[in-house]
Amino acid sequence: MSKDHDMDLSHHDVVYAIAASPNFATDGICFAGRSSGLYRSQDGGVTWPSTLDSLQLSAPLAASAVAVSPAFTADRFVVAGAEGGVLRSFDRGDTWYVHLLPAPPPLISCLAVSPNFAEDGVLFAGALEDGVFRSANRGDNWVLWNFGLLDLHVMALAVSPDYARDETLFAGTETGVFRSSNGGRAWRETPFPSDLAPVLSLALSPAFASDGVLFAGAEVNGLHVSHDRGRSWQRLGAQIAAESVNAIILSPYFPARPHLLVLLANGPFLSRDGGLTWSAAAGADVADAQASAVAAPLGLEPGAPLLLGLTNGDVVRTTIS
Amino acid sequence: MFGSSPPPPPEREYTPYVVFQPAAGQGLQRGINQMVNAIRPTLGPRSRFVAIGKMDRNRSPELVDNGGVIVRRTLALPDRDADMGAMFVRQMVWRQHERHGDGTATLAVLFQSIFNQGVTYLASGGNAMLLRNYLEKGLRLILAELAAMATSIEGEQALARLAESICYDPALARLLGEIFDIIGEYGRLEVRDGSGRELEREYVEGIYWDAPIVSRQMMEIIQKKGPAPGSQPGERPLVRAELENPAILISDLEIQEPRDLVPALSMAIKNQVRNLVIVARSISDNAIAVLLANRNPEKLVAIGVKTPGTLLDDMADAMRDLAALTGGQPLWSAAGDTLARLTPEHLGRARRAWADLSYFGIVGGGGDPRVLRDHIAALRASFRQTEDADARKKLRERIGKLMGGAAMLFIGAATETEMAVRKELAVRTADAVRGAMLEGVMPGGGVALLDCRPALQRLLKQATDLDERAAYRILIRGLEEPARTLIANAGADPSEIMAEIKHAGPGHGFDAAAERVIKMTEADIWDAASTLRGAVTTAVMSAGLALTTSVLVHHRKPTQEFNP
Repeated sequence: MSKDHDMDLSHHDVVYAIAASPNFATDGICFAGRSSGLYRSQDGGVTWPSTLDSLQLSAPLAASAVAVSPAFTADRFVVAGAEGGVLRSFDRGDTWYVHLLPAPPPLISCLAVSPNFAEDGVLFAGALEDGVFRSANRGDNWVLWNFGLLDLHVMALAVSPDYARDETLFAGTETGVFRSSNGGRAWRETPFPSDLAPVLSLALSPAFASDGVLFAGAEVNGLHVSHDRGRSWQRLGAQIAAESVNAIILSPYFPARPHLLVLLANGPFLSRDGGLTWSAAAGADVADAQASAVAAPLGLEPGAPLLLGLTNGDVVRTTIS
Repeated sequence: MFGSSPPPPPEREYTPYVVFQPAAGQGLQRGINQMVNAIRPTLGPRSRFVAIGKMDRNRSPELVDNGGVIVRRTLALPDRDADMGAMFVRQMVWRQHERHGDGTATLAVLFQSIFNQGVTYLASGGNAMLLRNYLEKGLRLILAELAAMATSIEGEQALARLAESICYDPALARLLGEIFDIIGEYGRLEVRDGSGRELEREYVEGIYWDAPIVSRQMMEIIQKKGPAPGSQPGERPLVRAELENPAILISDLEIQEPRDLVPALSMAIKNQVRNLVIVARSISDNAIAVLLANRNPEKLVAIGVKTPGTLLDDMADAMRDLAALTGGQPLWSAAGDTLARLTPEHLGRARRAWADLSYFGIVGGGGDPRVLRDHIAALRASFRQTEDADARKKLRERIGKLMGGAAMLFIGAATETEMAVRKELAVRTADAVRGAMLEGVMPGGGVALLDCRPALQRLLKQATDLDERAAYRILIRGLEEPARTLIANAGADPSEIMAEIKHAGPGHGFDAAAERVIKMTEADIWDAASTLRGAVTTAVMSAGLALTTSVLVHHRKPTQEFNP
C-alpha cells in the first residue's frame, strides 16, 4: 500500500468497528470500519491504508461493521457492513465483492461470524431497522429471520463459542436483549429491563456452554451480567453504572481469569474481578476525541496491544496497563 | 349405534317424557359406557381404529383413531335414555378436543372409571352430593401434584418428540418440531392442502392480515420470489402491490366521496410521503379512481386495503395491533374521526408493505418497539387470564401475528380422505404442542396420573367420613385407568405391567412401542401439561355432575347437530 493512501487524520470521521486477525501476533492484520470507508493495517495497527480500492468507488462508502473469519489464516475471509449491503473479501481484504440486501437499504450495525465458520459458513448481520440477516453460505445469500424479534433495531450481536452444538446467539436492541437458540431462525425475549436499554454491546464467556455467562453493555446504564443464559440480569460495577458501554471484551481465559474490558466514551476500562471494580485500561492520549471502537487482538494481559478507534477517525495503538 | 340395549317403544320416540331413578341412572350409564367404549381403543401409541359407517351405505366406512372425531360423527343413539349419556360424553370429549387437541381418550376412560365406581358406591347408600364435593376436593390435590411435575419444553428435537408422542407420525412430528421451534407457542401456523404426497412447510416473513387490496389495478407484477400466504409450495405470487418505506393510514372509515381523500393526499405529498397505504372499511369506486388517477411514483403512490376483520370488535383489535406495530394513530369512525382531521402524526410507518387480492402485510413495522412489546405483553396477560376458548383463540392469533412471521404446513397425501385425516391430525397435534409450550409437559403414558396417587392415599388415611374415603378410593383407582387402557391396547396384561410399574417406582411407566417398563422422562415420553390438566379436570367435574343427575327429561323431537 502506498503511503498516500494512508488514513487521513484530518478527515474527521468515526471509527465504527475494529477487527483483528486471529493470528494477529504473526500477521499483524487488522481492519477498521469508518464513516469514510474500510481500512486495513498489515503492520499491527501502525499504518492504515484504504482497502476498498478494488471497488473503484466514486464516493466514500461508510463501513459500519467489520468481522474476520475465525479461520482467517486459512480462508482469508473478511466481511464488512455498509448501508444497503455487505462487503466480502476472500483474500485478506485485497479485493472486495458487494452483496446488496433487500430494499429499502438496511444499515448494517454489527456482524457476527459463527465460531464454526470454516464448516458451517454462517454469518449474521444486525441492522438498525431491519433486524437480523442470516447467511449460511459465507454471505452468498442473506435471509431476514426475525420471528419473535419484536425490536428490529439491532445494535449488537454475540454468538456462543459452542455455536456448533447449541446454535445460540444474542441480539442487543433498542429495548433489550433477545436470544435465539436455533441459529438465528427464531428469537425470544430475555427479561433485560427495557428501561435500561438500548443495549450497545454484548459478550459471551468463552466457557458459555458450561457457565452460561453473558454481559450486556447499555447506553447510559452501564454493564449488566447474566449467569443463566439471559434468563436473569444483574447490574455490575457502581463505578460505571451511569456510563455508556460501547464494547465489551472478555479475557480468553475467562472465567478462570475474570478479566474484562469495556469501552466507555472516555476510553477503555479494565476489571480483573469479573466487573466489580474498574480502572483505566491504557494510558493512551486520545486528545479531545472520544473512543468509539476497540480491539484487543492478543487478550487482556498487561502489555498486550490494544487498538482504540476514535470519533475523529484515528486508530491509536496502545498497550494494556 | 353401539351396544345391544333394546330401544324404547316406538310410540315414545317422539314424545316428551320424564325418566326417574333407577331407569334414569341406568340409561345414562348405558350411554356413557357405549360412547366411552367406542373411544377406548384409540388410547396410546398402539391404538386401534374405530370404523364409522357413512350415510351412503355403499361407501366404505371411515376409519378413525381420534376420540374427538368419533364423538363428532356419533350423532345419536336409538335408546333415548342412553343417548342422553352418550351426548353427555360427546359434549365433554368434544370440548377437550377443541380446546387441547389431545387427551380425549384419557378423559373418556378416566371419566368412565370414576362414574362407574361412583354409581356402584351410591347404590350401596352413599350420598351423591357429598361424594361430588369430595371428588372435587381430591381434584384440587391432583392438580397441585400435576403442577409440581410440569417442566418447560424447548428445542426442535424435544418438540418433535412431544409431537410424535401425540400423533405417532414421525414425518409430521419432525416438521412440527421445527415449525414450533421457530414460530414459538403463539406463532401463526396455517395447515393447508398440499399438492403432492409429501409434507412441506414454508415461512412467511412479516405480519399479514386477511384484508384485500381494494383494486386489482393497484397491483403489479412482482419479479421477486418468495413464499406468501395462500400460495402452494413451489408456487410464487406474481401479482401484488409492494411499497417501500410506506406511511400507513389506519382507519375503519367508509370513504365514499373522492373529495374526502383530497386532504389526506395533500397532507401526504406536503410531508414528502412517497408511498401511502390507506386502511379503510370501504373505499368507493369513485374514490378508488382518484387514487389510481393520482399514482405518480415521483410524488405519491397510494393503495387502499380493507380494514382487517369482519366484526366491529375484530376490526378494532386489528387497528390497535396495526397502531402498535407501525406507530400510527387510528381514525375511528365511532369517534367521529374523518380524513379532514388527518395529521402527519396519525400516519404509521413500515419498512415495507404489500397487498394482494386476499391479504395485506407489513414487514418491519416502524412503531416504537417498547410500545409493541408492552402491547404484546398485555395481550399475553389477557390470554392467561381468559377462560373463554374463542377469546383465547383470538388473542393467540393476534399475538402470533405480531411475533413477526407465519408458517405454512402443506399436507400431502395419496387420497383426499388421507389428506383430510392427516390435516386433522396435524391441527390436533399442533394445538397440543402449543399447550405444552405454554404450560409445560409432564411424564407421559399415564405416569403423571399414577404419580398423583400417593398424595391421595395420604389424604385417604386422614379421612374418616365414608363418602370422603370413597371419593379418594374412586380417584386412586380412576387415575390408573388411562395407563391400564394404554397397556391393554398394546396387547399386554395390565395387571402384570402395573405390578412392574409399582415395583420400578415413581416416574416409571409402560413404553408401548418398546413394550417394556421404563422411566418416561429418560425416554422423552411426555404429555402436554395443559392437555392432562384439562382432561383430569373435565373428567372429575363431569363425573360428579353425572353422578348427581337423577332425572332425564326428553324433548319431543331433539335436534341433531354435527358440531357438539
